[in-house]
Amino acid sequence: MQKRIQRMEFEEEEEFVVSKPKYSESEKYRIFDKEFMPHIDSMYNFAFRLTNDEDDANDLVQDTYMKAFRFINSFQEGTNAKAWLFRILKNSFINDYRKKSKEPSKVDYQEVETVYNSTEDAEFESTSDLRIEAVQDMIGDEVAMALNGLPVDFRTVIILCDIEGFTYEEMAKILDIPIGTVRSRLHRARNLLKEKLRSYAKSMGYKELR
Amino acid sequence: MTECSGNVLIKEECENHEKCMKMIQAVLDGSASPEEIEHFKSNMEVCKPCFDGYELEKSIKNCLQTKVEKKCCPQNTVDQLKAKIGIGLVLLAGFIMKIKVIQVIFLS
Repeated sequence: MQKRIQRMEFEEEEEFVVSKPKYSESEKYRIFDKEFMPHIDSMYNFAFRLTNDEDDANDLVQDTYMKAFRFINSFQEGTNAKAWLFRILKNSFINDYRKKSKEPSKVDYQEVETVYNSTEDAEFESTSDLRIEAVQDMIGDEVAMALNGLPVDFRTVIILCDIEGFTYEEMAKILDIPIGTVRSRLHRARNLLKEKLRSYAKSMGYKELR
Repeated sequence: MTECSGNVLIKEECENHEKCMKMIQAVLDGSASPEEIEHFKSNMEVCKPCFDGYELEKSIKNCLQTKVEKKCCPQNTVDQLKAKIGIGLVLLAGFIMKIKVIQVIFLS
């Protein structure tokens, strides 16, 4: 069963390539070093932001790189290695990590999005009161805490877009969702983040209204 | 609800603000279509809520990019990973040597 899930996972990843290359052993090591290893810091940062735990981030990164090496023939040299690796990491996180997650419960983003949709107008009224000066005065830890406080699916789109700088098209491939859904989820994630930031700003003593 | 700034009427309220904000975010993210960029340029000058929204989104995006600590992968993890991958290399080298030895024995 586990092998079937793994096979499905990598069948998905093969969507990235037009034709499946066959690398010699030496080519595999060269591609691994030249194309995969330069992204290890970004991968670790992504893993850490997903798991909020250094040990879990280490495990997730190692697991991702081992899978990437094992299935290296699914990668077309010269294409977007970073997006390919991020997709494997995201899948590993969903398929493996979440099952044994230290987080209290899995968040169903569909449910969150539905709830959020129903209160979108009300949310906007409050988030629009957030002041630019308050955001600019915040320290990194406060912003990171607000980000960590978001449900993981919303956190993910903000990390991919704002911290890692992926385009919507790349995010759609990494997350395996349509571009329209990327836009909507990002929009909702940002409104939720603004709500969190507004709470911090209020606690810092900033006036809510402009 | 408009006020005049020079010859331009400035809107104080935006009737499509949520839709506009999605477009503004796409522009900031570098993923907007040419039509959206064009609409963004013309709308920014006349719509106060959209302009304010743009400035706030830009500020938050900048904050995320510059203030949130980017964690680097510990050297220990990199070393462990290289060792794991390296084991494959050692096994491969051993396998090649074994074949060579067999070839030498049978060809001599």
